[in-house]
Amino acid sequence: MKNIAVFGYNRLSFEAISRLDKELYQITVIDHDPAKAALARENGFETANIDFRSDDDLKLIGIGAHIDTLFCFFDTDSENVFLTLSARALDKALNIVAIVDSPESAEKLIAAGANKIIDPYEICGRKIHDMLKRPDINDIFDHTVFGRHDLHLAEVAIPENSYLENAHVSQLHLSSQYNLILIGIVNKQVSERLHFVAEEFDRRLSVGDILVILGPSREIRAFKKDVENEFCKI
Amino acid sequence: MLAKLIVYCAYYLKSADGYRRAKLFFYDLLENSHSRKKKYFDATMIGLLILSVIFLIYDIEHEDSKMGGYFELAILMVFIVEYLIRGWIYSDTYKVIIEEYEKALYLNLDFNLLGVFRKAFVRDIEYITSPFAIIDILAILPSYRPLAILRIFIIFRLFKLFRYSNSAKLFADALASKRFELMTLLIFTCFLVFIASVSIYMFEYQATDSGIHNLFDAFYWTIVTLATVGFGDITPQTTGGRWVTIFLILASLGVLSFFTSILIAAFSEKMLSVRESRTYAELDRYDNFIIICGFGRVGQEIARHLHNDRQKFLIIDRVPARIDLAKKRGYLAIESDASNNEVLINAGICRGASAILCITGDDVINVYVTLTSRHLNKNLRIISRANRHDNVNKLYQAGADNVIRPFEIAGLLAAEFVGQPVAFEAISGILHNQTETVMESVLVSEKSPLDNQKIGQLDLQQRKLTLLGVISDNPIHLKHKNKYQVNQQHFYFNPEVDFILRHGDMLVLLGRKYGIDHFRDQVEQRRLFSRQPK
Repeated sequence: MKNIAVFGYNRLSFEAISRLDKELYQITVIDHDPAKAALARENGFETANIDFRSDDDLKLIGIGAHIDTLFCFFDTDSENVFLTLSARALDKALNIVAIVDSPESAEKLIAAGANKIIDPYEICGRKIHDMLKRPDINDIFDHTVFGRHDLHLAEVAIPENSYLENAHVSQLHLSSQYNLILIGIVNKQVSERLHFVAEEFDRRLSVGDILVILGPSREIRAFKKDVENEFCKI
Repeated sequence: MLAKLIVYCAYYLKSADGYRRAKLFFYDLLENSHSRKKKYFDATMIGLLILSVIFLIYDIEHEDSKMGGYFELAILMVFIVEYLIRGWIYSDTYKVIIEEYEKALYLNLDFNLLGVFRKAFVRDIEYITSPFAIIDILAILPSYRPLAILRIFIIFRLFKLFRYSNSAKLFADALASKRFELMTLLIFTCFLVFIASVSIYMFEYQATDSGIHNLFDAFYWTIVTLATVGFGDITPQTTGGRWVTIFLILASLGVLSFFTSILIAAFSEKMLSVRESRTYAELDRYDNFIIICGFGRVGQEIARHLHNDRQKFLIIDRVPARIDLAKKRGYLAIESDASNNEVLINAGICRGASAILCITGDDVINVYVTLTSRHLNKNLRIISRANRHDNVNKLYQAGADNVIRPFEIAGLLAAEFVGQPVAFEAISGILHNQTETVMESVLVSEKSPLDNQKIGQLDLQQRKLTLLGVISDNPIHLKHKNKYQVNQQHFYFNPEVDFILRHGDMLVLLGRKYGIDHFRDQVEQRRLFSRQPK
């Protein structure tokens, strides 16, 4: 179970929270506007009434302790920067996701210690550009990966004693055995960079590598189960 | 009998392809202001006119010059032919005949040939009496040598210049827009001139050495003084006359400054619309451009991408500061309200636009612009932005092809990032061309070597490409599993090795950009070569 603190309750945070699986994530919503906090409660989210400007209050809800991820979704950039800065000071390992309103603030948020910046306008602009330039591919993604069809991206880490350890990529045959497509591999020991399968030479998998796969959820589950099963053989 | 023949001829002309094409050609050449031919034609005519006037003036100084005569004759021919063709394309006589004939047939009346001719004649008179046609005729007249008096019409030949450029129209329009102010000033000036002329006449008439001997002299002096020209050929001699002069000079300063300010205001107002029409004129040259309504953050982002792609686009926004920003970045932009039909039509929504983006921050405006655009053009691609979830369906109802919700997409990405950061970075990198690896589609065209081939034979692994799936609307594939409905087509995810491709299918490939391009080129080359033996 992961713990997420969401600061600022608006359309964006509502959308983000409702996409997250309730059974895997414990979510707390914080908003300094009592009306919005009440709305969040009405929608069935757990809320906390604290002042984000005070470090003690932040500690109170578990930043620096059990909170793993922080969403800074306030409407103004200055509040997000302040919150990011305070939270980063309390917890070095915290995963901080922040939104920006004006593009100049992105650098400030990064400097303040945010892990991921989300610019809704930029994303929207890129998306519309994609709709114009590559309508087919855009449609596929909208309907499958981001949409209601059962086609998902997933990442699978190779555990110790897995049958995949020391196997070659070419031996996997994911597309015929599982109806999955292997997109790429991250070799955690070397770097965070994703290596796309198609362009790489045949490589040997090791423990800790992450496979990025695309396919129906049933197949993904089956594959994950087999990966963790040390008696499964190719 | 004659009537029957004429009606037959009319129907023949209606169906004759060559006739219609010829008419269209001349219409493009002479009247269609969007056509490029007209621009060349106008430039040629201006050159000819200036030459002809030079020759006519030369003629006045040197009688009997032969070369000038021939040249003049040639130009005259051009003018006459132009005049006649303009008359020809002004009206469609055969249409009048057919209309009258069918009306007579329907009402069971006799077909009245005379009535038809009268109607056609009225149209012709309409043309002949139009101001430009009159100028055209007057420009032809000075070539008639026996009547030397007609030489005066050379001036009209110069007027013809205005026909080929719209600067005169612009000037007249600017003045016409200030009709009321100019009228007021004119009346005031008339009174001033009248009072000043009469007073100077009364004071100076009897003075010795005065240059004013009659009322016309007085009027001439008043105008010269009023215009601050002051030749000094007539000067007031009496004290009374000098007082009149002082009074007139002071008043004329006011009149002139008032006149100048009216002109400046008129032109600066006009310049705005001139600049706008220049923007439209530039758009005229392009097909397949995109109209962006709203230049906020989203609009700026799209404009940046489209600019990089060298795709032409036009920005419409109501906020002057944003239009300034757009112009500073070198984009075509109009400060206007996109919910206005006229603005959209001028922007070329029915002519060259291939898509319109309604992406303002206000859903009400987005819905309205979407509705207006769909009403004006049924085939246009419309992408709209919904800022609130409840408005998505309204936008689809209004006729949008795609509706995008900025906050929901961002929220979705945030959730995806928390759940699977690696996969998320991979997919957003591919989708937004941030990595070298891209996702693109390759079409299986007719007679392509890919047609009727099995997926297993494609040898994609050797080419370092990953096949994600096939998009197709061909019902022949429906038996395969793993299909996902996408709009009217199906996306076949991870097709088996014995999946047979048909023309019209699209392969969705993942790989390096040049790898995919190379594959596409090879397929195309082989298609062309395989055709040659036939």
